[in-house]
Amino acid sequence: MAFETVNVRKPLLLRLLPVLSLGIFFLAWQFCVAPPGVSDWRIPPTLLTRPTDALILGINKLTNVNPDGATLLTHAGVSMEEAFIGYVLALAIGLPFGLLMGWFSVVRGVARPIFELIRPIPPIAWIPLTIFWFGIGLGGKVFIIWISGIVPCVINSYIGVRMTNPVHIQMARTFGASDWKIFTSICVPSSLPMVFGALQIALAYCWTTLVAAELLASDQGLGFLITMGRNLGRTDIVILGMVSVGLAGAVIGVIIDRIEAKLLAGIRR
Amino acid sequence: MSETVQSVANEVILSSGERRRITISAILHNEYFLNSVSLILFFGLWQWAATSMVFGHSSSLASPYQVLLRLQELFTTTLAGLSLWGHMWASLRRVIIGFTIAVAVGVPLGLIMALNPYVNAVVKPLVDLIKPMPPLAWISVAILWFGIQETPKIFIIIIGSIIPALLNAYNGVRLIEPEYYDVVRIMGGKPWDEIRLVCLPASLPAISAGLQIAMSSAWSGVIAAELVSSRSGLGYLIIQGMKVSDPAMVIGGMVIIAVIAWCMTQFMDWLDRKLCPWRRDIKGM
Repeated sequence: MAFETVNVRKPLLLRLLPVLSLGIFFLAWQFCVAPPGVSDWRIPPTLLTRPTDALILGINKLTNVNPDGATLLTHAGVSMEEAFIGYVLALAIGLPFGLLMGWFSVVRGVARPIFELIRPIPPIAWIPLTIFWFGIGLGGKVFIIWISGIVPCVINSYIGVRMTNPVHIQMARTFGASDWKIFTSICVPSSLPMVFGALQIALAYCWTTLVAAELLASDQGLGFLITMGRNLGRTDIVILGMVSVGLAGAVIGVIIDRIEAKLLAGIRR
Repeated sequence: MSETVQSVANEVILSSGERRRITISAILHNEYFLNSVSLILFFGLWQWAATSMVFGHSSSLASPYQVLLRLQELFTTTLAGLSLWGHMWASLRRVIIGFTIAVAVGVPLGLIMALNPYVNAVVKPLVDLIKPMPPLAWISVAILWFGIQETPKIFIIIIGSIIPALLNAYNGVRLIEPEYYDVVRIMGGKPWDEIRLVCLPASLPAISAGLQIAMSSAWSGVIAAELVSSRSGLGYLIIQGMKVSDPAMVIGGMVIIAVIAWCMTQFMDWLDRKLCPWRRDIKGM
């Protein structure tokens, strides 16, 4: 055998510490917060809720529509739908746009000033204007999510094309390839790692903006659940909403990671 | 004779000694010409959309000129007791306080996590727990905890900018080439020398990139927090404009927000060049 697999085991302490750390965190959380209706030295339930209570509420909310008018899964579904539409639109428009901007100077010359004007505005700042334009329905939220997703898409695919190895381009030139041919068969494939970077960044942006959009203008969705919880003074609902948002974001992130690993298996990064 | 210099990264000619003949095609491909065409088109479209009321009624879009007038008015008159300068300072002050705290905690913690596996084993799971939660989801809890004064806004900014600051410092140290450490060891350096001569300088580009991300997330965090509940700041300005159906004020506020965001980016870029002048990234945009 040419090589031997060496198993380097981490010290026991190092393997235990993460578990301990999380365990102590949750235990401290559980024991430092008073159960509903009890007031003693512990943190009152109006400020924080115990993890077990949040869990029970979460299971309960799977079927119960009170007090905010929809079950947890409906809220999550609505949020996912908005995020998905905005995200796909951002990809569908942003990626080709960025790629073309990277390669064709005419597209770059026309599109870049407008893009540079719009880019520094945080997507959240569009919310009031969007409410003017679209009201608080699906359209407005999709628009805000689209705005927040399209910026990383354009930038990454643009940089991806600009970073193409010039030797490859010159080689193609030497063999008489047309501009369009070079673009499609050299620049686009070599920008793929950057493009996939954009997929992840854009998704994270979309998900963050979605919560903000729903906090301000919505009647369903996880962000709305959080707002409702605050308005009703139900801290447990707020915590449940936050945990659901975090969990859904983490799940989507893992899925994108998997897809990326599959598609980019052959590319060294 | 023509002399040309080509950019290293791609096929762009940076400068050319040859005099170009002025033809229609050359003008059409000239960058400045294209830029001005696009800007004229943009503002023209905006003006047209505002005057012909594409979005239905008059209170949905203001023309560029109206926005300018409104901005001038905001600079001279007061809204909720503050002129526009006051609102700008209110937002900036929150960002500066929150960002400073986040960086002062996040960067050293990230460095220590990367250097010490035990600290890492304790802190990393907690960071991973908080990381996927969008900072804006904390707004409601922050208001419940800290009321509606300055504290919840600063809390949101800290939450939003501490994660990129921390993770970039952490990854910056972890991704250092091991050969650098070997060199220090071969030259007889002590562990402290490894930290001082290798870890800190080699992780600076990553830290600086983290600061840039942290800054932009702090800025959008403060706007979001002000949109939800506030009595001052640029976020308050635009939400107020929405409530009184004054699109010129909303767009004016967005313009100011964008200008400040742009200045911040420029400042962070400048800082980046000062901190790590050896870095040769391709900064496309």
